[in-house]
Amino acid sequence: MKYLPLILRNVTRNKIRSIFTGSSIAVSLFLVVMLYSFLSVQDANNEASKVHNRIIAMNVQGLTGDVPIAYVDRIRKIEGVRYAVPYSWYGGMYKDDKITFGQFGTDANSIMNVLEEYKLAPEQLAAWKADKTGCVVGSILARNKGWKLGDKVPLKGDIYPVNLEFTVRGIYEGSSSTDREMLWFHFSYLDDSLKEINAPTAGNAGIVMLNAESADIMPDLMKKIDSTFASSDAPVRAMTEKQFQQSFMEMMGNVRGFIRYTSIAVVVALLCVAANTMAMALRERTREIALFKAIGFPQSTILGLFLSEAVAIGLLGGVFGALGAKLLFEVVDFSKWVPGLGWLYVPWSTALAGVALATAIGLVSGIYPAWRAANVSVVEGLRKIV
Amino acid sequence: MSDNHAESIVALLNVSKGFMRDKLEIPVLTNTTLHIPKGDFVAVMGPSGSGKSTLLNLCAGLDRPTTGKVIVNGQDLGELSEARLSKWRSENLGFIFQMYNLMPVLSAQENVELPLMLTPLSRAERRKHAEASLRIVGLSDRADHYPRQLSGGQEQRVAIARALANDPVLLLADEPTGNLDATSAQEVLDLLESLNEQFGVTIIMVTHDPKAARRAKRLLHLEKGSFVQADIEALETSLRGVAR
Repeated sequence: MKYLPLILRNVTRNKIRSIFTGSSIAVSLFLVVMLYSFLSVQDANNEASKVHNRIIAMNVQGLTGDVPIAYVDRIRKIEGVRYAVPYSWYGGMYKDDKITFGQFGTDANSIMNVLEEYKLAPEQLAAWKADKTGCVVGSILARNKGWKLGDKVPLKGDIYPVNLEFTVRGIYEGSSSTDREMLWFHFSYLDDSLKEINAPTAGNAGIVMLNAESADIMPDLMKKIDSTFASSDAPVRAMTEKQFQQSFMEMMGNVRGFIRYTSIAVVVALLCVAANTMAMALRERTREIALFKAIGFPQSTILGLFLSEAVAIGLLGGVFGALGAKLLFEVVDFSKWVPGLGWLYVPWSTALAGVALATAIGLVSGIYPAWRAANVSVVEGLRKIV
Repeated sequence: MSDNHAESIVALLNVSKGFMRDKLEIPVLTNTTLHIPKGDFVAVMGPSGSGKSTLLNLCAGLDRPTTGKVIVNGQDLGELSEARLSKWRSENLGFIFQMYNLMPVLSAQENVELPLMLTPLSRAERRKHAEASLRIVGLSDRADHYPRQLSGGQEQRVAIARALANDPVLLLADEPTGNLDATSAQEVLDLLESLNEQFGVTIIMVTHDPKAARRAKRLLHLEKGSFVQADIEALETSLRGVAR
């Protein structure tokens, strides 16, 4: 501890360079922590969703194929199924929005039993059920769009060739990790609109979502669902919600691998930046290091001083970058600018892992310069002095 | 020069030192024997490349002789490992350099405390020692000043205070006035003289400046790696010649 003031003075002696190096680490760590939070929050949500025993039945062709709406009733009748609902992505555009948000046609009678982690006031649920053009929206979506009960929400069909106008009948809530940026409406409203124009997609849902009576029957239940429709025109494949989420992510490519390799590249780049900073410090301070050795500072202390300096720079960058990301996501609602990010937050474990990573970057980047410093020849160093 | 190194604070016994340059060994000191008694103030002069700095480095244990022994304060430096040499230096030596070599990020007081960080002294005790050292060099009022806020002469006095902080048995000064104006050089030499006379500190000072060398009790003249006869009187004569 007695060397701490000396270490801190050295860290701040070339303020511009330290700020630039620290900022490089901070900004990069901010991005890495954000990307990893995306994965870790998804993982956490997937794990948490296990308790709901949910199963997704989708066309064997994947999300590009449809599931006939009649399957919903047939699935409901299979032993072990508690509730089953159609779940169809509408993908309409609201006014001048450039990015859509989650809009799903479903069954108002059962959706709150299937997605039981969301809460909707009973009178709002009743109002929704009573209004065929009614919809329920998440609290974040309602806040961002300025919607309140009774407001009209016109959506322009993009995937489907029909435009739909909804009336907000309910605003659902959920915990901070849940998606509160969705809009649920009656599947029948969409389906009837499609039938009116004789659209070939009428009578079909995107997927069927159901929950099982218990976790231990889920494997058998999925097999039963698969076998029930195996010889039909539209065979389905049942999977757990976690498997569905993973396959959904895989559709976007190897996101996990992309994030991992991007992070590795960032870390390597940071190592080079930090090591260069320390190498410059070493070159500039050869005389001082020689002096330290001359007056009796042992190699181990000089090694420790230089390493501590590198660690301090990394740590500062990590604190600002990783904890800054944590703080920023707590304070700022990014869903205002990037729809769909309302569920994202930086878990403490990810933020602290970011700080640890930055510290490790500092440590590793300092090893070679510190070793060089500890081995500076006193005679050569002092020769520079005289 | 006496052969009895038991009474000497510094004894070089048949010391030779050479450096390898492109596979050729360049001799710097040749079979040199030297005894410096405790309380002596020795000036070492000689042309560039004569081995003055090498002599200081050997006395400080910063370099090792090719042959021969270097004994300082009764310790044969050849017997010590690098780690033990570091510790020994911190307990026995004080250094003064031409370029002062103060840490720019530390105040005068903190610079003086630097060698004391290697001791088990508490922070308060280190501060007390540093204050005493700064008092000796007359810079108590500049304790909180940073090197950039001090004149060259003041910087060198802080460096002297740093060299004194751990109460060394031997002070090694390498061109301590080489970077100073005449007035500051006089102040620094006055200080070294009084340290030697009042506190009995043994000093070896390498210098090119005959006026500085005149302040020492004894003059050693190095030429081509060997000591040649020289004394203060001869130096005085030479200085008078310069004065005319």
